[in-house]
Amino acid sequence: MRVVIVGGGIAAVYLANNLKKQNSKLQVSVVSDEKYPPYDRIHLCRLVDSTENIEGISLVLDPTVKLELNQKIHTIDKENKRILSDTSMFSYDKLIIATGSLPISLFNIDGIKNAALFRSADDCEAIKNGVIGKTAVIVGSGPIGLELLETLNEMPSVKEIVLIIRGKHLYDKNLSIESIKIIEECYLKGGKIKISYEDEIVDKVIEENEIKLLKTKKLEIKNPFLVFGVGIKPNIEDFRGSLTCEKGIVTNRYMQTEDEDIYAVGECAEVKEIDFIAGHVKECTLEADCAISHILQTDLKEYEREVSIDMLKVGEFDLVDVSNPCFHANVEKVLITSGKDKRVDEYFISNDKLIKFVGINSNVDVGYIQTLIKDGDEVDINYLYQNRLIGERGRLICSCEHVYHQDLVDIVVQSGISSFSELSDFSQAGRVCGRCKIMVADVIKESQHLIDPNIPRKTPEDIQREKEIAEVAKRIDKFNTLHPRNNLTTDNLESAMASLEIGKHEVNSWISMVTANMQLHPNFEEVVEKGIKSLNKVPIVWLELSDCSGNSEAFIKSNNPAIEDLIFDYISLDYHELLMSASGDQSETILEDIIKNQKGKYILIVEGAVPLAMDGKYLRIGPKGETGIELLKKCAKDAALVIAVGSCALDGGVVAAAPNPTGAVGVGTALERNDVINIPGCPTNPTNIVGTLLSYIMFEELPPLDKFNRPLWAYEGRVHDNCERRGHYELGEFVKEWGDIGAKKGFCLFEMGCKGPYANVNCPTMKFNGGTSWPVQAGHGCMGCTEIGFFDKYANERKVEDAQSCN
Amino acid sequence: MRKVVIDPITRIEGHLRAEVEVDEYGIVREAYVSGQLFRGIEIILNGRDPRDAGLLAGRICGVCTNSHFRAAVSCVEDAYSLKIPKNAEIIRDLMAMALFIQDHVVHFYHLHSLDFVDVTSALNADPELTSVEAHKYSKNPFGNSNTHYETVLIKLQNFVKAGKLGPFGNGYWGHSDYRLTPEQNLILISHYLQALKFQTNISKAVAIFGGKTPHPQSIVVGGVTSVADMLNPQRLNDYLFIIKEAKEFIDRAYLPDMKLIATAYRGEIKAGMGRANGNFLSVGGYEFEGEQRLFCSGVIYDHDFLNVEEFDENKITEEIDRAWYSGDAKENEVCYTDLNEDGTLKTAKNSDKYSWIKAPRYNGKTMESGPLARVLVSYSKDNKLIKSFVDEFLHETNLELIDLSTTVGRNCARAIETSYICEYIFKLVSRLIQNIKYYDTDTWTKFDFDAQEKNTKGRAFFEVPRGVLSHFVNIKDSKIENFSVIAPTTWNATPKNLDGLRGAYEEALIGLKIEDTSKPLEVLRVLHSFDPCLACAVHIIDTKGKELSRYKIKTL
Repeated sequence: MRVVIVGGGIAAVYLANNLKKQNSKLQVSVVSDEKYPPYDRIHLCRLVDSTENIEGISLVLDPTVKLELNQKIHTIDKENKRILSDTSMFSYDKLIIATGSLPISLFNIDGIKNAALFRSADDCEAIKNGVIGKTAVIVGSGPIGLELLETLNEMPSVKEIVLIIRGKHLYDKNLSIESIKIIEECYLKGGKIKISYEDEIVDKVIEENEIKLLKTKKLEIKNPFLVFGVGIKPNIEDFRGSLTCEKGIVTNRYMQTEDEDIYAVGECAEVKEIDFIAGHVKECTLEADCAISHILQTDLKEYEREVSIDMLKVGEFDLVDVSNPCFHANVEKVLITSGKDKRVDEYFISNDKLIKFVGINSNVDVGYIQTLIKDGDEVDINYLYQNRLIGERGRLICSCEHVYHQDLVDIVVQSGISSFSELSDFSQAGRVCGRCKIMVADVIKESQHLIDPNIPRKTPEDIQREKEIAEVAKRIDKFNTLHPRNNLTTDNLESAMASLEIGKHEVNSWISMVTANMQLHPNFEEVVEKGIKSLNKVPIVWLELSDCSGNSEAFIKSNNPAIEDLIFDYISLDYHELLMSASGDQSETILEDIIKNQKGKYILIVEGAVPLAMDGKYLRIGPKGETGIELLKKCAKDAALVIAVGSCALDGGVVAAAPNPTGAVGVGTALERNDVINIPGCPTNPTNIVGTLLSYIMFEELPPLDKFNRPLWAYEGRVHDNCERRGHYELGEFVKEWGDIGAKKGFCLFEMGCKGPYANVNCPTMKFNGGTSWPVQAGHGCMGCTEIGFFDKYANERKVEDAQSCN
Repeated sequence: MRKVVIDPITRIEGHLRAEVEVDEYGIVREAYVSGQLFRGIEIILNGRDPRDAGLLAGRICGVCTNSHFRAAVSCVEDAYSLKIPKNAEIIRDLMAMALFIQDHVVHFYHLHSLDFVDVTSALNADPELTSVEAHKYSKNPFGNSNTHYETVLIKLQNFVKAGKLGPFGNGYWGHSDYRLTPEQNLILISHYLQALKFQTNISKAVAIFGGKTPHPQSIVVGGVTSVADMLNPQRLNDYLFIIKEAKEFIDRAYLPDMKLIATAYRGEIKAGMGRANGNFLSVGGYEFEGEQRLFCSGVIYDHDFLNVEEFDENKITEEIDRAWYSGDAKENEVCYTDLNEDGTLKTAKNSDKYSWIKAPRYNGKTMESGPLARVLVSYSKDNKLIKSFVDEFLHETNLELIDLSTTVGRNCARAIETSYICEYIFKLVSRLIQNIKYYDTDTWTKFDFDAQEKNTKGRAFFEVPRGVLSHFVNIKDSKIENFSVIAPTTWNATPKNLDGLRGAYEEALIGLKIEDTSKPLEVLRVLHSFDPCLACAVHIIDTKGKELSRYKIKTL
């Protein structure tokens, strides 16, 4: 497939690189009207003050992407799927327009020597050379204007700067006076800058293509160099003829235009449904992701507006702006200011919810603020006040990745990196919007002396793992602060271990086994142990529906090392008919209490199928004679998690085998939900249940699941592949009839109808009853009890093709 | 009269409901027990290859798991007149024996003991006195030391202090019908905890030859598959070692604990509390040398221990008048008449249907089956092997044979039986070793499925932990045409019939005094003493009974 991208900025490069990354077979071309290879406009100021040349701010493009420069596309030939410039033609299968935006000028400055826009490398060149010996006049006080202002202020060759602002504010009209004052002070301090509020150009004198005099409402400026920083507009004029355009090129949420093979991404595109045009790098890359997902038809993503984070760092102040996409000016504002620290935190609140935050020299946790805005939780201002100074991580460097100064220093010290490029393995700081790239590089440089050559350096994996473990530990702590019905403590666990004569080594080896089986690094053992000790903090309701109690039995009776017995006793198994001492009303009270008072906190484990025929009346439970499905729905509604244990809970199992007399289905089907976790087996190995519970406690999320919602860590491997008799299969040594010489020697059971090749579960390594045996070891072979519909397909002693002909 | 509904009845397998009608003195005058789940495993078995019956029927129950597995395979073998090798029979027996031990211990400690043991009372126990107390019931009590009891006590205190007892939560603690002293309670609690470890180990004995448990997977029509395990001396040794360890616990903890409870609850025993109608059924079985069987078969009516009738399978009938099945000639027809609007059972008319459990009768009578029936029948038929075990127990507790036919006695019989099995299991193993030694390593009888009779029928009777289990199969065109099961709990939890006869559960509840109807501990205790297993109990009536007439499972 040929994908042609029109544009030469971040969006185009991001699209090209990520398309290639996801499918290296694509032919991707980037067609740009610039004469330079793509570069990062965010760092244009660096060209103005010559701290960088064009190479220094260039964007890295995948070398297999074809780059066409100096090609201004003026025609899209949709019918023949090609685009035309004055000199060339490019054929495409998919076309992506990513032409970005054009700066706005208030009057036509074509040909005028001492006026410029501020959008391209050439503009920078013009400003750099033209401004010498002149009074720089910047019109507009948006982020770009302010940054340029700072740059010019630092350049010795510039003697005088005037900032013309139509309104009464800097940066954003919603900013408080306090904030504006702080910003203003920074600029005015050197005496080079003059700010003229509520002002605009009213007249000018142009002679010989040069502005000799600028007249504003308030000022007359001789010999100026004028730069417009008033705003931008989508760069779409060349496409108006061929694509529907409003403010931008109209797209759907996949960034697809009315032509199914043409997409538009970034500042040139308008997502019609939400009336949205991107303004930030992050938004552009998100749009690009959606377009890529649609082009490649993998993991389809629709564009959703997200909370945006902007940052402005100018000399002595920095500004963070976190904003809800649906921000509106109709808000209450809470200001927390500190004159001494020149610090302002502005909270914009609507209906007790935070919708925007602007901080000047603030050090609050941007990640927290972002989550708060995103989740729409009620704001506790006291909390915000108390946490206004959480600054041990130092100054915020990268707002996109929420990386603070100290975080970077830590990475440098721990891993000994010496350059920005080495950082990429550890953190994406400075790489998302790129605005802070230079600052990041500076921090790395400054911190080099802190590296201790004697301390072993950590790899990115080490650091990642440490981070994960810290997260898990935090999560476990969170559980420990819960106060569920079960207040058992670690001491109880230890005394219980002692009374069951379970030694520490036994616990440790169990933990190692579980850690290994959950495919976690051995470093996790400590948190696994902590997780086990926190299992009792989660209330668990175990419902038995249309079942044989085999899974309960497996769990409590004949399970793996005694430790699991203990764990089962130790977890807060608040309702379990087989075990609990209470009966009748007394047990029902417990159930009602959990459902009512532990909403969203308890885990529901369901064993057995759900009979739906005859209005579910094949199963009645409790004093009021509720049907199984009624009870299940009642318990599942507010459960934090529903786990279906055993094969009957997966798909009805034996109860739903043909002709399924009671209309039995699995739990997921009965609840019409696709988020029920299945841990099938007949019975299920208890370790797989404990492991899944642990995983929930440790990661708050479930382990990766397969298409039947079975945890991959337990259900990924094929029985046949891990079978102890696999060697005999390879050698063609088979049991031919029960009890024959092959059976005595433990040959492969495939000829006897072993279903190991069709079953995915960890039985061969986990085994049953404390590792005593498993069906293959017992000479019978597997019957695929973890698979959908196994009683009709696999529960026999014939090879699959024979079995089918028999049935 | 007031109706008390108990549902769910916990600490049993499956979905059981009990409704009792009590008079103004709290005395139970009428009782109804009902199975509340129907799965229809027999319907599912119809039309399948007879060789697949075992794997499917095994799923009737996850508690009595290998019992159904074996019985289903055996009735197919019976249909094909297959005689399986000695070794296969022994291996099946070894799995069954281990299940007996596992089931009985778990039943008593984890499912039943909390009806006798007040966990909170144990907190006031004096560890020193506790160890003295334990010596009253055993010369060498299990884990009997001050420090051991202190540890248990501290653990228990921590549990209670935390205000959360896990499975102990919300019990009927402090109920006046808890009779044990704090020290006695502590002994039992300590064994409750040790039994957790015990049952983990004993289950390995089943898994050695079964591959796993619950739901072992090593029995096939014609024999067993675990020949490699059989031939591995280490596996046999492991099995023996596990049983030896189990025997220690049985003889030094379980049996003495039953003596303790029999002594403490002597009043209830002597008052005949929990006695059913005195009809007992045992089909016997488990072969030793020659004709010697572990259990005798026979039938006792009305506690008449002197006249034990021979068991005759032709006298078994099944009725469904008050169970949710149709009396019409239609096949396997379910006829659910629902509950009352308030969720109670419909029992107003004496023809109202109220349970998924069908009503088996022997010679027209309801029967009690289980360890008590086995012990009584075997003892009354002068089974030399078991006699000394029963006599010793009765002697030490100063009880008579009739006293075993009570709630507590039922448990005593179960404990006696467990101890007895532990003793004789070794004989089975040595027989197996003898066979192997003389080069008999057969575990499967070769048969050609296609050469077997296309239309045939078979049946199998077994004593399993909870009582008499029978499976019946009709085979037509080499497919299962009809499958029928009568499980122990089917016998004991039978509903009434048009005959109005109460089954063992219902009869045992009559006359019981309930102190506090909001805490019907007494009812639970009676029901638990039978070790109910409801998944097993519910089986559709065999509406093609006429074709099974050889076994006379009558329908209409």
